[in-house]
This record gives sequence, C-alpha cells and structure tokens, in this order.
Amino acid sequence: MASTVDRPSGRAGLNLGYLPYLLPGAIGFFVVVLIPFLMNIAVSFTRWKGIGVPKFIGLENYLKLFQDKTFWAAFEHSVACVIAMALIPTALGLFLGAVLFDYIGPRFGPRASSGLRAAFYLPQILPVAVAGVLWGWILSPIGVLNTILDGLGLHALSQNWLGDPATALLAVMFVMVWLQLGYALVVFMAGLARVDPALYEAAELDGAPWLSRFRHITIPMLKPEIFVVGLTTTIAALKVFAPVYVLTSGGPDNATTVPSYFAYYHFFTTNRVGYGAAITTVQTLITIVLGLVFLRVQRKQTEGAN
Amino acid sequence: MIAKKRLTAALALSLALAAGSHGVARADDSDKTFKIWWYETPDSAMGIAWNKAIEEFKAKHPDVTIAFEQKSWDQIEKAGSLILNSGEAPDLLEYNKGNAIAGLAASQGLLTDLTDVAAERGWDKTLTSSELLLSRYDDRGIFGTGPIWGIPDYGEFVAVYYNKNMFKDLGLEVPKTLAEFEKVMDAFVAKGITPIATAANDYPAQHLLTELALSKATPEWVQSYQGLKAPLDPAPYLYGAQTLQDWVKKGYVSKDATGLKATDMETLFETGKAPMVVSGTWFGGGFKSKIKDFEWGQFLFPGNTISSGSTGNIWVVPKSAKHKDWAYEFIDITLSKDNQALLGNSGGVPVAADPASLTDPVGLMMTENFKVLADRNGLGFYPDWPAPGFYEVMLQKTQALIGGTITPEEFVEQISGPYNEAQAEAN
Repeated sequence: MASTVDRPSGRAGLNLGYLPYLLPGAIGFFVVVLIPFLMNIAVSFTRWKGIGVPKFIGLENYLKLFQDKTFWAAFEHSVACVIAMALIPTALGLFLGAVLFDYIGPRFGPRASSGLRAAFYLPQILPVAVAGVLWGWILSPIGVLNTILDGLGLHALSQNWLGDPATALLAVMFVMVWLQLGYALVVFMAGLARVDPALYEAAELDGAPWLSRFRHITIPMLKPEIFVVGLTTTIAALKVFAPVYVLTSGGPDNATTVPSYFAYYHFFTTNRVGYGAAITTVQTLITIVLGLVFLRVQRKQTEGAN
Repeated sequence: MIAKKRLTAALALSLALAAGSHGVARADDSDKTFKIWWYETPDSAMGIAWNKAIEEFKAKHPDVTIAFEQKSWDQIEKAGSLILNSGEAPDLLEYNKGNAIAGLAASQGLLTDLTDVAAERGWDKTLTSSELLLSRYDDRGIFGTGPIWGIPDYGEFVAVYYNKNMFKDLGLEVPKTLAEFEKVMDAFVAKGITPIATAANDYPAQHLLTELALSKATPEWVQSYQGLKAPLDPAPYLYGAQTLQDWVKKGYVSKDATGLKATDMETLFETGKAPMVVSGTWFGGGFKSKIKDFEWGQFLFPGNTISSGSTGNIWVVPKSAKHKDWAYEFIDITLSKDNQALLGNSGGVPVAADPASLTDPVGLMMTENFKVLADRNGLGFYPDWPAPGFYEVMLQKTQALIGGTITPEEFVEQISGPYNEAQAEAN
C-alpha cells in the first residue's frame, strides 16, 4: 500500500521538478511557434490581403495549390535542396572529417587539422545574405569565376551560371553544399574524438586498410551524429529561403523556386496572404512528417544497436 | 524600377527596424513631435531636397521636434500597410505608388483623403491632372480616378543613356527612329561590342522589353492595361517580345543578361564596356558622380511616343497621423520653387520647378526629357503595376525570353494568365 502511494507521488514530484526548466522553452514554443502556426492554418482558409477583414473560402486555396505547377516545381527543387544541404554535406563531411582526424591530424599535427576544420566551418559564421552577395559576384557572367576561366583560356567552360536554367539550380546547390559542409564536418569530428582509439589500433594491427576502417568502424560508431546531422540539415533544406532569395530570387523562370520563397512571394508581393498561408501549412506538414520518419528510423537504429 | 535596392534593402530592413527601436529619432509622441519617414538615400536628389525642407520647417517651427526615420523602399513595400494599420504610423511618409501598395492602403481606409487640402493649398494647380493620376485611387484601389490620397514632387522615366565618346569614335549620331537605332547598334556589333547592357536577373530587362512594346501602344492601351479595364490585349507585348528575341540573336543584347543584376549593368556602363543602357532616371545621380572618364548623355527611346515613366513615389498622410497640418505644410515646402530647384540641381527630376532655375546639366537634361514625355501624354507607367506580384511574373518571363527558353507566343500566354486573373478579381 505504502509503495503504491509512494510511487505516484514520487513521479509527480519528479515531473514538477522538471517543470521550471521546461517552462521557458514551452512559453517560447507557444508564443513564437504554436500560436502563429494555428493562426496561419486559420488564415489558409481565407482570402485576405494582409489588412482588412479575411473572407472565409474553405478549401479553395488548397484546391488551387494542388493545381499550381510552380508549387509542385518548388517541391521538386526542395528535393535538390535536400541533396545539396543534407545528403552531400553529410556524406562529404563524414569523409573529410575522417580524413582530417585520421590522416591530416596525425601526420601534419593537430594545428593543421583544426585550421582546415575552421576553414570548412567559416561559411557557417558568415551571414547568408553576405555569402549570397559574394557568390553572386563570383558566379555572375562577368564575375570572378568566368574571368578566371577565360584567363586560363577555358572559354568553353565559362557559363552563365545563375542565369541559365540548365545550370542555375546546380550553382545554387553548390553554394548550399559550401554553406552546410562545415556544420556536418565539425559534428563528425567531435564524434570521432569520442570513439575509442583502441578499435582503430586493433583494426590496423589486423591489417585493415583505411577504407575498411572507415566503413566498419567510423560510420557505425558515428551513427548518432549522422542521424542528428541528417535530421537537422534535412529540415533546413525543406525550409531553405535565404540562399535562393539572394542568389536567384527563384529564377530564371522559376528554375530555382523553393516552397519558402514561393510562400514569401504570395505573402508580400501578390498580397495573397491566405494562399501563402496554405503553402506554408502544407510545407510545415511535410517537414513534420519527414522529421517524425527520421526520428522513428533513428530510434529503431539505436534500439537495434542496443 | 526601384528594385535595384532590393538586396541592400533586405539587409537594411533588420538594421532599420533595430535602429527604429533604439531611439535615433524615437522621440516621445508628445504634441510637439512631428514624425516623418522616407526611403530616399541622403545623397540622392530627393534626400538632399527633403533634408533642406526639414531645415526650413525647423526654422519656421523652432519649438517642434522633428523625428525623422530613414526607411527602405522594400520595408514600405513589404510592411507598409501593417505600419499604417498600427499605432506607430508617422505624421507624413513617402509611400510606394501603384495599385498594390498605395491603392491597397487607400482602399482599406488607412490614408487621409487629401482632395480638399490639395484644392485649398493649390497642389492640384501645381501638378497637372496627369501628374496626379497616381495620387488618385478608387475604392477598389486602382489608380487613375477617385480621391487624391498622395502627392508626388518628383518624376522619373526610362530612357537610353549613352557613352558620347564611344558614339563619337564610330562617328555615330543619336538615333531618332527605331531603324536608326538598329543601325547604330549594328555599328557596335561590327566592332565586337554588345551595344546595350541590360540585366534580366533584375528589373532593367523588363523595362527594355516594355519600351519595345510601348512603341506599338496607344494611350488607350496604356490606360486599359494599367487600369485592369479589360483582359490583356497582347499585341504590343508580342511585338516587344519578338523584337527583343531578335535583338538577342543580332547581338544587340547579350544572352548573359539573364545572370546580371541592375548593379552589374550599371558597372558595365560606368566602366565604358557598354555604350548604352536602357533604364530609369534614378541612375542619373550615380552616373553624374561616378563617371569621370568619358562624356555621357541621355535620349528618349527612339521612335517611341510613350515611355515607361511616371511621377515619383508619393507623400501620404496616415489616417491616424497626429499632426496633419504640419504634414501639409511640409508637402508645401517640398513643392516650393526653391526646393524643387534644389531637387533638380541635385540631379533629380522635379515636377514643379521653374526651368530657368535649373543649372545642373544632368538635372536639366532629365527634366527637359521628362517634360517632353509629360507634355505629349507619353508617360506609360511601369509594366508591373497592374496587379500585385506582377513584377515577379514580368521579371521571370522576360528573363526566360532573353535566355531563349520560351517563345514570344509563350511569353504572351504566360503573362496573360496572371494578368487576366487579376483583372477578373478586380472587377
């Protein structure tokens, strides 16, 4: 009897003990995320110019949205963004992290390794707007890259990088990789520091080449980091806005439009606030679903590992 | 037209918002504080003239504190109506003309109706009826008719800027007709020079296209187009689109323009790499101060009666303004002969200056060209005005046209869609 009474009161005590720590975050979440999101959902069922009285129109915005080619094209570009901001930086970050940790560090000293790590991380501390302006100068038809290529006699390689639909999305993707790589690299290098060096030594003594060690030790040991980086960068890719805004404004001819930019366009330039709200609602739902899938897979993997 | 400021404006937006709350000019709302906002930079002709107007106002009202805040064009474009709808609106502000911004605010009752004040103070005499077109918005927010909601005090238009030295080197004269214009361009192409620098990753390319379209337009077409009076009559745009693609093929305009911004275009002209640019009078001041190595001039688009152009952005008095009388007095000062002369002599285009008082060659040249256009009812406004968001549509489609990824027929079809939709919604 005593124990049954003790246990719930103990649990309640524990919950209450956590409460003050959860409170600031919860208030922030309610005020900054949840309430505006609910309002956004409400607005998505209306026709509204941003001022005046919104007019309820039911599912009209959603029906229109599903027939809007630009909207679907924007989601196709989101897939490209996931490749550029999540897949490539994760894979490349893992590889470069291992190279810096296993090869550069021991051979050229920790300074060389951390110097390079900082260099890869640099784009992360630069404001995206500034980075975008710089890359705009580099990738302009009269910009630095083409000038260098022309100077080297490689005229055939110089391109209208951001102005040609064939290259614009690739160019924006390249800048995204450049922006995101440092983040993945730094997390993976921190993860590598946690791995027991004895594992590598044993494998090395057994004659395992570097690639085998990378495949059989580094990748499995870094699974938690890979999931965290994968999840955060995928979410960042699904809501990406700034690089597209500063580099191409979604052009040429919508070749680089992404959902966030498309929503922004309707919110602020066409004054179709209800339609913009419908876009962001769908975008948020997709992001939440993908996030949950990620977390689920991660949990399964961790459970499997245990 | 003003979108060249877009990027810097985006950066400035957060700074300006932060500055606003730090109290640069955030005096209290006491009875003796007159709040004014505008977004013209301090070194622009308008900035110079209006700062002088502040001095004059202060001299007349030594007991009044002026709370001035420098805003960005983009800030008003994106958040103007929210500001007017809040308790934070100033007593007087420069506001973006056009249906999407000023029209929307007027139709939602956020602005003061200035019709009676304009008659009382004679603004409707100082400005011609065509100069007041963008001041009037009807209850749907469409310009041209209805009460006066704002007052312009400068003008702007699109024309051809040219490098006089490069023209002289090839023995070329200023062209008067489109055929002569093409001959001039042929001469440059023969020398391996792309005659017109433009930027299609930004607004200038749509202005060039519009000049070509307007060569086939009548004033009735302009009115109907800008006033959303009927579904789009695409004939002028089809001609413009065909000619522009033709010009790309002939080498008059580079396909690389699709990757260029307005500032790139500006640089190409200022560094003497391009003999001509087709763009607005807002470049005049910059060219005046930056070009030292050659002589340059401006001529109206050859063969056109109508060009893109209009009176500038407008002074509006928010409905909730606390000191409307001071706002009217300030507008009076900016429309005075002295202040208008200062605007012109600073490289701008005044609407109410005495021509004899203009001594600056750049201001004089542009003011004269503006007068030519205004006198022949040749101000065609801007292509993106009819509907909110039409700017993006025109930009993207002109870019695709120059890049050669759509045909002139597809261009017309793709701009007609959103236009006709907006037209149906408005009516």
